[in-house]
Amino acid sequence: MSSHREAPEISKDPVADSTDLYAFVSPDKPETVTIIANYIPLQSAAGGPNFYEFGDDVIYDIRIDNFGNSKWDITYQFQFSTVLGNPETFLYNTGPITSLTSSSWNRKQVYTVTRIDSTGEHVLGKNLACPPCNIGPLSTPDYATKLAQPAVHTLSDGSKVFAGQRAEGFYVDLGSIFDLGNLRPFQNLNVFGKADGFSSAPGVNATKLLNVHSIAIQVPIGRLTRKGRPTIGVWTAANRQRARIHDPQTGRVVTSGPFEQVSRLGNPLVNEVIIAMGDKDRWNALQPHKDSQFTHYFANPELAGLLPVLYPGVFPHLAALVASKKPRADLEAILLTGIPSGIIPNFSNFTGTVQADMLRLNTSIPPSKSPNILGVLGGDLAGFPNGRRVFDDVVTVEVRAVAGVTYPLIDPKFTPDAAAGEVSDGLTPSSLGMPFLDEFPYLGVPFDGYHDPSS
Amino acid sequence: MLKGAAGVGAAGLAASALASVALPAAAATRTPVRTKQGPSSENAGGEAIVVHVRDAASGEIDVFRGTTQIRLHDRDLAARLVRASR
Repeated sequence: MSSHREAPEISKDPVADSTDLYAFVSPDKPETVTIIANYIPLQSAAGGPNFYEFGDDVIYDIRIDNFGNSKWDITYQFQFSTVLGNPETFLYNTGPITSLTSSSWNRKQVYTVTRIDSTGEHVLGKNLACPPCNIGPLSTPDYATKLAQPAVHTLSDGSKVFAGQRAEGFYVDLGSIFDLGNLRPFQNLNVFGKADGFSSAPGVNATKLLNVHSIAIQVPIGRLTRKGRPTIGVWTAANRQRARIHDPQTGRVVTSGPFEQVSRLGNPLVNEVIIAMGDKDRWNALQPHKDSQFTHYFANPELAGLLPVLYPGVFPHLAALVASKKPRADLEAILLTGIPSGIIPNFSNFTGTVQADMLRLNTSIPPSKSPNILGVLGGDLAGFPNGRRVFDDVVTVEVRAVAGVTYPLIDPKFTPDAAAGEVSDGLTPSSLGMPFLDEFPYLGVPFDGYHDPSS
Repeated sequence: MLKGAAGVGAAGLAASALASVALPAAAATRTPVRTKQGPSSENAGGEAIVVHVRDAASGEIDVFRGTTQIRLHDRDLAARLVRASR
Protein backbone atom coordinates (compact mmCIF):
# COMPACT_ATOMS: atom_id res chain seq x y z
CA MET A 1 0.00 0.00 0.00
CA SER A 2 1.16 3.55 0.37
CA SER A 3 3.79 2.21 2.70
CA HIS A 4 1.94 -0.34 4.79
CA ARG A 5 4.04 -3.47 5.29
CA GLU A 6 6.10 -2.38 2.30
CA ALA A 7 9.43 -4.00 3.20
CA PRO A 8 10.24 -7.46 4.57
CA GLU A 9 11.74 -6.35 7.89
CA ILE A 10 9.34 -3.57 8.79
CA SER A 11 6.35 -5.75 7.93
CA LYS A 12 7.26 -7.70 11.08
CA ASP A 13 7.33 -4.55 13.21
CA PRO A 14 4.00 -2.72 12.76
CA VAL A 15 4.54 -0.36 15.70
CA ALA A 16 7.44 1.22 13.80
CA ASP A 17 5.92 0.84 10.33
CA SER A 18 5.19 4.23 8.78
CA THR A 19 2.18 3.88 6.51
CA ASP A 20 1.31 7.30 5.14
CA LEU A 21 2.62 10.84 5.32
CA TYR A 22 0.61 13.96 4.61
CA ALA A 23 1.76 17.58 4.42
CA PHE A 24 -0.46 20.44 3.32
CA VAL A 25 -1.30 24.05 3.98
CA SER A 26 -4.16 23.78 6.45
CA PRO A 27 -7.40 24.61 4.61
CA ASP A 28 -9.03 26.22 7.65
CA LYS A 29 -5.83 27.88 8.93
CA PRO A 30 -3.84 28.77 5.82
CA GLU A 31 -1.10 30.43 7.87
CA THR A 32 -0.15 26.94 9.07
CA VAL A 33 1.08 23.65 7.66
CA THR A 34 -0.32 20.34 8.88
CA ILE A 35 1.88 17.26 8.79
CA ILE A 36 0.47 13.83 9.62
CA ALA A 37 2.59 10.69 9.95
CA ASN A 38 0.68 7.43 10.25
CA TYR A 39 1.94 4.23 11.86
CA ILE A 40 0.63 0.75 12.82
CA PRO A 41 -1.21 -0.37 9.68
CA LEU A 42 -4.40 -2.29 9.06
CA GLN A 43 -5.95 -2.08 12.51
CA SER A 44 -9.15 -4.01 12.98
CA ALA A 45 -11.32 -1.89 15.27
CA ALA A 46 -12.14 -4.89 17.46
CA GLY A 47 -8.48 -5.80 18.02
CA GLY A 48 -8.57 -6.19 21.81
CA PRO A 49 -7.94 -6.80 24.59
CA ASN A 50 -4.54 -5.28 23.86
CA PHE A 51 -5.64 -2.47 21.66
CA TYR A 52 -3.17 -0.65 19.43
CA GLU A 53 -0.66 1.83 20.83
CA PHE A 54 2.57 3.55 19.87
CA GLY A 55 5.85 1.91 20.83
CA ASP A 56 7.42 3.14 24.06
CA ASP A 57 10.71 1.86 22.66
CA VAL A 58 10.41 3.72 19.36
CA ILE A 59 11.36 7.33 18.63
CA TYR A 60 9.08 8.78 15.96
CA ASP A 61 10.39 11.68 13.89
CA ILE A 62 8.88 14.17 11.50
CA ARG A 63 11.80 15.73 9.63
CA ILE A 64 11.87 18.85 7.53
CA ASP A 65 14.46 20.08 5.06
CA ASN A 66 14.05 23.79 4.39
CA PHE A 67 17.51 24.44 2.95
CA GLY A 68 17.34 22.27 -0.15
CA ASN A 69 20.10 19.78 0.60
CA SER A 70 17.70 16.97 1.54
CA LYS A 71 19.09 16.81 5.09
CA TRP A 72 16.84 17.67 7.99
CA ASP A 73 16.96 21.15 9.47
CA ILE A 74 14.03 20.67 11.82
CA THR A 75 12.92 17.48 13.52
CA TYR A 76 9.83 17.02 15.63
CA GLN A 77 10.44 14.04 17.86
CA PHE A 78 7.71 12.06 19.61
CA GLN A 79 8.37 9.66 22.49
CA PHE A 80 5.60 7.69 24.14
CA SER A 81 5.13 6.19 27.58
CA THR A 82 2.48 3.70 28.58
CA VAL A 83 0.88 3.97 32.01
CA LEU A 84 -0.74 0.81 33.37
CA GLY A 85 -3.25 1.57 36.09
CA ASN A 86 -4.11 -1.89 37.38
CA PRO A 87 -1.90 -4.84 36.45
CA GLU A 88 -4.34 -7.25 38.16
CA THR A 89 -6.92 -7.15 35.38
CA PHE A 90 -6.81 -8.26 31.76
CA LEU A 91 -9.12 -5.45 30.76
CA TYR A 92 -8.19 -2.37 28.75
CA ASN A 93 -11.00 -0.60 30.56
CA THR A 94 -13.09 -1.56 33.57
CA GLY A 95 -16.00 0.72 32.76
CA PRO A 96 -16.94 3.53 30.40
CA ILE A 97 -14.04 5.82 29.51
CA THR A 98 -15.64 9.23 29.75
CA SER A 99 -12.54 11.43 29.77
CA LEU A 100 -8.79 11.28 29.18
CA THR A 101 -8.29 10.99 32.95
CA SER A 102 -10.97 8.36 33.51
CA SER A 103 -9.94 5.89 36.23
CA SER A 104 -11.71 3.08 34.39
CA TRP A 105 -9.25 3.41 31.50
CA ASN A 106 -6.55 0.99 32.53
CA ARG A 107 -3.87 1.47 29.90
CA LYS A 108 -3.15 5.06 28.99
CA GLN A 109 -0.40 6.51 26.83
CA VAL A 110 1.27 9.92 27.11
CA TYR A 111 4.01 11.50 25.06
CA THR A 112 6.66 14.17 24.82
CA VAL A 113 7.18 16.42 21.79
CA THR A 114 10.67 17.80 21.19
CA ARG A 115 11.68 20.15 18.40
CA ILE A 116 15.30 19.89 17.31
CA ASP A 117 16.71 22.63 15.12
CA SER A 118 19.83 24.75 14.73
CA THR A 119 19.20 26.34 18.12
CA GLY A 120 19.09 23.03 20.00
CA GLU A 121 16.54 20.68 21.50
CA HIS A 122 13.31 22.24 22.74
CA VAL A 123 10.71 20.26 24.63
CA LEU A 124 7.40 21.69 23.45
CA GLY A 125 5.12 19.48 25.49
CA LYS A 126 5.31 16.71 28.10
CA ASN A 127 2.81 14.18 29.45
CA LEU A 128 0.44 14.89 26.58
CA ALA A 129 -2.44 12.44 26.59
CA CYS A 130 -3.29 10.18 23.67
CA PRO A 131 -6.97 9.24 23.32
CA PRO A 132 -7.93 5.62 23.90
CA CYS A 133 -8.68 3.40 20.97
CA ASN A 134 -12.32 3.51 19.94
CA ILE A 135 -13.69 0.38 21.61
CA GLY A 136 -17.45 0.73 21.29
CA PRO A 137 -20.45 2.72 22.49
CA LEU A 138 -20.32 1.35 26.04
CA SER A 139 -16.58 1.69 26.60
CA THR A 140 -15.87 4.89 24.68
CA PRO A 141 -19.09 6.91 24.56
CA ASP A 142 -18.93 10.35 22.96
CA TYR A 143 -15.59 9.37 21.46
CA ALA A 144 -15.19 12.37 19.15
CA THR A 145 -16.09 15.09 21.64
CA LYS A 146 -15.04 13.67 25.01
CA LEU A 147 -11.94 11.68 24.05
CA ALA A 148 -10.53 12.65 20.64
CA GLN A 149 -11.06 16.41 20.71
CA PRO A 150 -9.51 16.86 24.18
CA ALA A 151 -6.47 14.98 22.87
CA VAL A 152 -5.67 17.90 20.57
CA HIS A 153 -3.04 19.82 22.54
CA THR A 154 -1.45 23.22 22.12
CA LEU A 155 2.33 23.14 22.44
CA SER A 156 4.46 25.76 24.12
CA ASP A 157 5.25 27.40 20.75
CA GLY A 158 1.58 27.60 19.79
CA SER A 159 1.61 24.61 17.45
CA LYS A 160 -1.12 21.99 17.73
CA VAL A 161 -0.52 18.29 18.14
CA PHE A 162 -2.51 15.08 18.21
CA ALA A 163 -1.29 11.50 18.55
CA GLY A 164 -3.65 8.57 18.57
CA GLN A 165 -6.02 6.37 16.65
CA ARG A 166 -7.76 7.64 13.51
CA ALA A 167 -9.77 6.13 10.69
CA GLU A 168 -7.54 5.06 7.81
CA GLY A 169 -7.54 7.76 5.13
CA PHE A 170 -5.67 5.95 2.38
CA TYR A 171 -7.84 4.09 -0.09
CA VAL A 172 -6.61 1.40 -2.47
CA ASP A 173 -7.89 -1.78 -4.07
CA LEU A 174 -5.12 -3.98 -2.74
CA GLY A 175 -6.97 -7.18 -3.47
CA SER A 176 -6.92 -6.51 -7.19
CA ILE A 177 -3.58 -4.72 -7.48
CA PHE A 178 -1.62 -7.52 -5.89
CA ASP A 179 -3.54 -10.13 -7.87
CA LEU A 180 -1.33 -9.67 -10.92
CA GLY A 181 -2.19 -5.99 -11.37
CA ASN A 182 -5.77 -6.82 -12.16
CA LEU A 183 -7.33 -3.38 -11.73
CA ARG A 184 -11.02 -4.19 -11.48
CA PRO A 185 -12.34 -1.41 -13.77
CA PHE A 186 -9.98 -2.69 -16.47
CA GLN A 187 -9.78 -6.38 -15.64
CA ASN A 188 -11.45 -7.24 -18.93
CA LEU A 189 -8.23 -5.97 -20.53
CA ASN A 190 -5.80 -7.64 -18.11
CA VAL A 191 -4.06 -10.56 -19.80
CA PHE A 192 -5.04 -12.94 -17.00
CA GLY A 193 -8.44 -11.39 -16.27
CA LYS A 194 -9.36 -11.53 -19.92
CA ALA A 195 -8.38 -15.20 -20.10
CA ASP A 196 -10.62 -15.89 -17.11
CA GLY A 197 -13.53 -13.99 -18.65
CA PHE A 198 -13.57 -11.15 -16.12
CA SER A 199 -15.59 -8.08 -17.00
CA SER A 200 -15.07 -4.53 -15.80
CA ALA A 201 -16.08 -3.98 -12.18
CA PRO A 202 -15.94 -1.19 -9.59
CA GLY A 203 -12.92 -1.00 -7.28
CA VAL A 204 -13.11 -2.43 -3.76
CA ASN A 205 -11.32 -0.53 -0.99
CA ALA A 206 -9.13 -2.87 1.05
CA THR A 207 -8.68 -0.35 3.88
CA LYS A 208 -12.37 0.28 4.48
CA LEU A 209 -13.35 0.10 8.17
CA LEU A 210 -9.72 -0.07 9.29
CA ASN A 211 -7.89 2.27 11.65
CA VAL A 212 -4.36 3.60 11.95
CA HIS A 213 -2.35 5.58 14.50
CA SER A 214 -1.58 9.18 13.57
CA ILE A 215 0.98 11.69 14.76
CA ALA A 216 -0.30 15.06 13.59
CA ILE A 217 1.18 18.49 14.09
CA GLN A 218 0.01 21.88 12.87
CA VAL A 219 2.75 24.50 12.74
CA PRO A 220 2.84 28.15 11.61
CA ILE A 221 4.44 28.24 8.16
CA GLY A 222 7.13 30.61 9.35
CA ARG A 223 8.32 28.03 11.89
CA LEU A 224 9.11 25.61 9.06
CA THR A 225 10.41 27.68 6.15
CA ARG A 226 13.42 29.90 5.51
CA LYS A 227 13.09 33.37 4.08
CA GLY A 228 12.81 33.17 0.30
CA ARG A 229 12.42 29.38 0.37
CA PRO A 230 8.72 28.50 0.58
CA THR A 231 9.20 24.85 -0.37
CA ILE A 232 9.96 22.30 2.31
CA GLY A 233 10.86 18.63 2.05
CA VAL A 234 9.19 16.39 4.62
CA TRP A 235 9.61 12.79 5.67
CA THR A 236 8.87 10.69 8.72
CA ALA A 237 11.14 8.13 10.34
CA ALA A 238 10.90 5.60 13.15
CA ASN A 239 13.97 4.68 15.15
CA ARG A 240 14.77 1.72 17.38
CA GLN A 241 17.73 0.99 19.61
CA ARG A 242 20.32 -1.24 18.00
CA ALA A 243 20.42 -3.98 20.63
CA ARG A 244 17.31 -5.95 21.58
CA ILE A 245 17.30 -8.99 23.84
CA HIS A 246 14.32 -11.03 24.95
CA ASP A 247 14.34 -11.46 28.71
CA PRO A 248 12.65 -14.77 29.53
CA GLN A 249 12.28 -13.80 33.19
CA THR A 250 9.92 -10.94 32.37
CA GLY A 251 8.84 -12.05 28.92
CA ARG A 252 9.78 -8.62 27.65
CA VAL A 253 12.38 -7.17 25.33
CA VAL A 254 15.33 -5.25 26.78
CA THR A 255 16.75 -2.58 24.49
CA SER A 256 20.01 -0.71 24.53
CA GLY A 257 22.31 1.36 22.35
CA PRO A 258 21.86 4.23 19.92
CA PHE A 259 18.61 4.72 18.07
CA GLU A 260 18.79 3.85 14.39
CA GLN A 261 16.25 4.40 11.67
CA VAL A 262 14.15 1.34 10.80
CA SER A 263 11.42 2.97 8.72
CA ARG A 264 10.99 6.11 6.65
CA LEU A 265 8.41 7.59 4.35
CA GLY A 266 8.29 10.61 2.07
CA ASN A 267 6.28 10.18 -1.12
CA PRO A 268 3.59 7.50 -1.11
CA LEU A 269 4.28 4.16 -2.76
CA VAL A 270 8.01 4.72 -3.35
CA ASN A 271 9.36 1.89 -1.21
CA GLU A 272 6.20 -0.03 -2.02
CA VAL A 273 6.37 -0.24 -5.80
CA ILE A 274 9.49 1.60 -6.97
CA ILE A 275 12.24 0.07 -4.85
CA ALA A 276 12.96 -3.62 -5.49
CA MET A 277 12.59 -6.29 -2.81
CA GLY A 278 16.30 -6.74 -2.31
CA ASP A 279 16.83 -3.06 -1.43
CA LYS A 280 13.69 -2.25 0.57
CA ASP A 281 15.09 -2.89 4.05
CA ARG A 282 18.28 -0.94 3.33
CA TRP A 283 16.25 1.90 1.85
CA ASN A 284 14.29 2.11 5.08
CA ALA A 285 17.52 2.49 7.05
CA LEU A 286 19.05 5.23 4.90
CA GLN A 287 18.65 8.99 4.97
CA PRO A 288 16.95 10.54 1.93
CA HIS A 289 20.02 12.47 0.82
CA LYS A 290 21.60 9.12 -0.04
CA ASP A 291 18.84 8.17 -2.46
CA SER A 292 20.84 8.82 -5.64
CA GLN A 293 22.02 5.20 -5.43
CA PHE A 294 18.42 4.17 -6.13
CA THR A 295 17.89 6.49 -9.11
CA HIS A 296 17.73 3.59 -11.57
CA TYR A 297 14.50 2.40 -9.95
CA PHE A 298 12.90 5.75 -10.70
CA ALA A 299 14.48 6.19 -14.13
CA ASN A 300 13.26 2.80 -15.35
CA PRO A 301 10.52 1.65 -12.99
CA GLU A 302 9.51 -1.99 -13.08
CA LEU A 303 5.83 -1.06 -13.09
CA ALA A 304 6.19 0.85 -16.36
CA GLY A 305 7.44 -2.32 -17.98
CA LEU A 306 4.70 -4.43 -16.44
CA LEU A 307 1.71 -2.37 -17.60
CA PRO A 308 2.12 -3.12 -21.33
CA VAL A 309 2.64 -6.80 -20.52
CA LEU A 310 -0.36 -7.06 -18.20
CA TYR A 311 -2.57 -5.05 -20.57
CA PRO A 312 -1.53 -6.14 -24.06
CA GLY A 313 -2.18 -3.53 -26.75
CA VAL A 314 -3.43 -0.96 -24.25
CA PHE A 315 -0.16 0.90 -23.66
CA PRO A 316 1.74 0.82 -26.98
CA HIS A 317 3.36 4.24 -26.49
CA LEU A 318 4.46 3.33 -23.00
CA ALA A 319 5.87 0.05 -24.31
CA ALA A 320 7.93 1.96 -26.86
CA LEU A 321 9.16 4.35 -24.21
CA VAL A 322 10.19 1.47 -21.97
CA ALA A 323 11.92 -0.25 -24.89
CA SER A 324 13.87 2.94 -25.61
CA LYS A 325 15.33 2.78 -22.09
CA LYS A 326 15.12 6.56 -21.88
CA PRO A 327 15.26 7.59 -18.24
CA ARG A 328 11.98 8.74 -16.78
CA ALA A 329 13.14 12.22 -15.88
CA ASP A 330 9.50 13.11 -15.21
CA LEU A 331 9.30 10.61 -12.36
CA GLU A 332 12.73 11.60 -11.06
CA ALA A 333 11.56 15.21 -10.88
CA ILE A 334 8.22 14.44 -9.27
CA LEU A 335 9.61 12.08 -6.64
CA LEU A 336 13.29 12.95 -6.16
CA THR A 337 13.89 16.68 -6.72
CA GLY A 338 10.54 18.37 -7.04
CA ILE A 339 9.28 20.00 -10.22
CA PRO A 340 11.34 23.02 -11.32
CA SER A 341 9.69 26.26 -12.36
CA GLY A 342 8.85 26.64 -16.04
CA ILE A 343 7.46 23.12 -16.42
CA ILE A 344 3.95 23.64 -15.06
CA PRO A 345 2.55 27.20 -15.21
CA ASN A 346 2.67 29.01 -11.86
CA PHE A 347 4.07 25.99 -10.07
CA SER A 348 7.30 24.70 -8.64
CA ASN A 349 8.19 22.53 -5.68
CA PHE A 350 11.83 22.06 -6.60
CA THR A 351 14.09 21.79 -3.56
CA GLY A 352 17.46 21.38 -5.27
CA THR A 353 19.46 18.95 -7.30
CA VAL A 354 20.05 16.43 -4.50
CA GLN A 355 17.91 13.44 -5.35
CA ALA A 356 15.94 12.40 -2.30
CA ASP A 357 12.54 10.93 -1.59
CA MET A 358 10.83 13.70 0.32
CA LEU A 359 7.26 14.94 0.21
CA ARG A 360 7.76 18.46 -1.16
CA LEU A 361 5.32 21.19 -0.25
CA ASN A 362 5.38 24.69 -1.69
CA THR A 363 3.80 26.53 1.21
CA SER A 364 3.20 29.67 -0.85
CA ILE A 365 0.40 27.94 -2.77
CA PRO A 366 -2.83 28.48 -0.84
CA PRO A 367 -5.37 25.74 -0.20
CA SER A 368 -7.69 25.08 -3.12
CA LYS A 369 -11.27 26.26 -2.91
CA SER A 370 -12.26 23.47 -5.28
CA PRO A 371 -9.94 20.57 -4.48
CA ASN A 372 -9.34 17.88 -7.06
CA ILE A 373 -8.34 14.48 -5.67
CA LEU A 374 -5.90 14.11 -8.56
CA GLY A 375 -3.97 17.14 -7.29
CA VAL A 376 -1.58 18.75 -9.77
CA LEU A 377 -2.56 16.14 -12.38
CA GLY A 378 -6.11 17.43 -12.07
CA GLY A 379 -5.08 21.07 -12.26
CA ASP A 380 -5.16 21.58 -8.49
CA LEU A 381 -1.74 22.91 -7.53
CA ALA A 382 -2.45 22.57 -3.79
CA GLY A 383 -2.56 18.78 -4.01
CA PHE A 384 -0.18 15.89 -4.50
CA PRO A 385 2.66 15.96 -5.47
CA ASN A 386 2.68 19.43 -3.97
CA GLY A 387 2.61 17.89 -0.53
CA ARG A 388 -0.26 15.52 0.02
CA ARG A 389 -3.73 16.09 1.43
CA VAL A 390 -5.67 13.41 3.28
CA PHE A 391 -8.09 12.88 0.41
CA ASP A 392 -5.66 12.91 -2.53
CA ASP A 393 -5.93 9.84 -4.80
CA VAL A 394 -2.23 9.11 -4.83
CA VAL A 395 -2.69 5.62 -6.28
CA THR A 396 -4.32 6.91 -9.43
CA VAL A 397 -1.89 9.83 -9.73
CA GLU A 398 1.17 7.63 -9.48
CA VAL A 399 -0.16 4.83 -11.70
CA ARG A 400 -1.02 7.36 -14.39
CA ALA A 401 2.34 9.06 -14.03
CA VAL A 402 4.17 5.76 -14.37
CA ALA A 403 1.92 4.92 -17.34
CA GLY A 404 3.38 7.94 -19.09
CA VAL A 405 0.90 10.74 -18.60
CA THR A 406 3.58 13.02 -17.12
CA TYR A 407 6.34 12.18 -19.60
CA PRO A 408 5.37 15.07 -21.93
CA LEU A 409 6.55 17.40 -19.17
CA ILE A 410 10.08 16.57 -20.22
CA ASP A 411 9.42 15.44 -23.82
CA PRO A 412 6.56 17.34 -25.50
CA LYS A 413 6.83 15.08 -28.54
CA PHE A 414 5.66 12.09 -26.51
CA THR A 415 1.97 11.28 -26.75
CA PRO A 416 0.70 9.26 -23.80
CA ASP A 417 -1.57 6.33 -24.46
CA ALA A 418 -5.25 7.16 -24.07
CA ALA A 419 -5.42 4.58 -21.30
CA ALA A 420 -2.69 6.36 -19.33
CA GLY A 421 -5.14 9.14 -18.56
CA GLU A 422 -7.87 6.72 -17.57
CA VAL A 423 -6.17 3.97 -15.62
CA SER A 424 -7.19 3.79 -11.96
CA ASP A 425 -8.16 1.34 -9.26
CA GLY A 426 -11.59 2.93 -9.37
CA LEU A 427 -11.83 4.38 -5.85
CA THR A 428 -12.60 7.75 -4.31
CA PRO A 429 -12.56 9.00 -0.69
CA SER A 430 -16.16 7.84 -0.37
CA SER A 431 -14.73 4.30 -0.49
CA LEU A 432 -13.43 4.80 3.06
CA GLY A 433 -16.79 4.77 4.81
CA MET A 434 -15.78 7.54 7.23
CA PRO A 435 -15.68 11.24 6.36
CA PHE A 436 -12.60 13.36 6.87
CA LEU A 437 -12.80 16.22 9.35
CA ASP A 438 -12.83 19.86 8.31
CA GLU A 439 -10.34 20.71 11.04
CA PHE A 440 -7.22 19.37 12.68
CA PRO A 441 -6.37 16.47 12.73
CA TYR A 442 -8.46 16.06 9.55
CA LEU A 443 -8.40 12.23 9.46
CA GLY A 444 -11.74 10.78 10.46
CA VAL A 445 -12.96 9.44 13.79
CA PRO A 446 -11.71 5.86 14.16
CA PHE A 447 -14.11 3.00 13.61
CA ASP A 448 -15.19 1.29 16.81
CA GLY A 449 -15.06 -2.44 17.34
CA TYR A 450 -18.71 -2.83 18.27
CA HIS A 451 -20.19 -1.35 15.12
CA ASP A 452 -17.40 -2.35 12.73
CA PRO A 453 -15.74 -5.45 14.16
CA SER A 454 -14.29 -6.52 10.83
CA SER A 455 -13.55 -4.99 7.49
CA MET B 1 21.44 -10.31 16.01
CA LEU B 2 22.72 -12.89 18.48
CA LYS B 3 21.70 -15.81 16.33
CA GLY B 4 23.54 -14.32 13.39
CA ALA B 5 26.59 -13.62 15.48
CA ALA B 6 26.73 -17.18 16.73
CA GLY B 7 26.70 -18.38 13.16
CA VAL B 8 30.04 -16.75 12.47
CA GLY B 9 31.66 -17.91 15.67
CA ALA B 10 31.09 -14.81 17.75
CA ALA B 11 29.20 -14.49 21.00
CA GLY B 12 26.66 -12.07 22.35
CA LEU B 13 26.37 -11.72 26.09
CA ALA B 14 24.14 -9.73 28.37
CA ALA B 15 25.37 -7.54 31.19
CA SER B 16 25.40 -10.25 33.81
CA ALA B 17 27.94 -12.24 31.81
CA LEU B 18 30.09 -9.20 31.17
CA ALA B 19 30.20 -8.43 34.88
CA SER B 20 32.49 -11.39 35.45
CA VAL B 21 35.01 -10.07 32.95
CA ALA B 22 37.18 -7.09 33.83
CA LEU B 23 37.57 -4.60 31.00
CA PRO B 24 41.30 -4.15 30.40
CA ALA B 25 41.50 -0.40 30.12
CA ALA B 26 44.93 -0.19 28.59
CA ALA B 27 44.70 -3.08 26.16
CA ALA B 28 41.41 -2.15 24.54
CA THR B 29 41.05 0.34 21.73
CA ARG B 30 37.78 2.17 22.09
CA THR B 31 35.90 3.79 19.27
CA PRO B 32 32.69 5.64 20.05
CA VAL B 33 30.54 4.68 17.11
CA ARG B 34 27.71 7.04 17.77
CA THR B 35 26.33 9.04 20.59
CA LYS B 36 22.64 9.33 21.31
CA GLN B 37 20.60 10.52 18.39
CA GLY B 38 17.80 12.23 20.20
CA PRO B 39 16.81 13.23 23.71
CA SER B 40 17.43 10.52 26.25
CA SER B 41 14.48 8.25 26.84
CA GLU B 42 13.74 6.93 30.28
CA ASN B 43 11.37 4.49 28.57
CA ALA B 44 13.78 3.10 26.06
CA GLY B 45 15.94 0.54 27.71
CA GLY B 46 17.15 1.88 31.05
CA GLU B 47 20.72 0.91 31.77
CA ALA B 48 20.84 -2.54 30.22
CA ILE B 49 24.29 -3.35 28.85
CA VAL B 50 24.53 -5.59 25.81
CA VAL B 51 27.82 -6.91 24.49
CA HIS B 52 28.13 -8.14 20.94
CA VAL B 53 31.34 -9.86 19.91
CA ARG B 54 31.27 -9.02 16.24
CA ASP B 55 34.45 -10.84 15.35
CA ALA B 56 36.26 -12.89 17.93
CA ALA B 57 39.35 -13.27 15.75
CA SER B 58 39.97 -9.53 15.41
CA GLY B 59 38.62 -8.73 18.87
CA GLU B 60 35.91 -6.40 17.57
CA ILE B 61 33.31 -5.97 20.31
CA ASP B 62 30.32 -3.62 20.49
CA VAL B 63 29.12 -2.56 23.92
CA PHE B 64 25.64 -1.03 24.07
CA ARG B 65 24.58 0.92 27.12
CA GLY B 66 21.73 3.38 27.47
CA THR B 67 21.64 5.19 24.15
CA THR B 68 25.33 4.82 23.37
CA GLN B 69 27.55 2.29 21.69
CA ILE B 70 31.26 1.77 22.19
CA ARG B 71 33.35 -0.38 19.85
CA LEU B 72 36.26 -2.15 21.45
CA HIS B 73 39.18 -3.83 19.68
CA ASP B 74 40.46 -6.35 22.21
CA ARG B 75 41.34 -9.88 21.14
CA ASP B 76 41.99 -11.05 24.68
CA LEU B 77 38.64 -9.86 25.98
CA ALA B 78 36.86 -11.33 22.97
CA ALA B 79 38.53 -14.67 23.55
CA ARG B 80 37.60 -14.64 27.23
CA LEU B 81 33.99 -13.80 26.39
CA VAL B 82 33.84 -16.61 23.88
CA ARG B 83 35.24 -19.02 26.48
CA ALA B 84 32.81 -17.75 29.09
CA SER B 85 29.88 -18.28 26.77
CA ARG B 86 30.57 -21.97 26.31
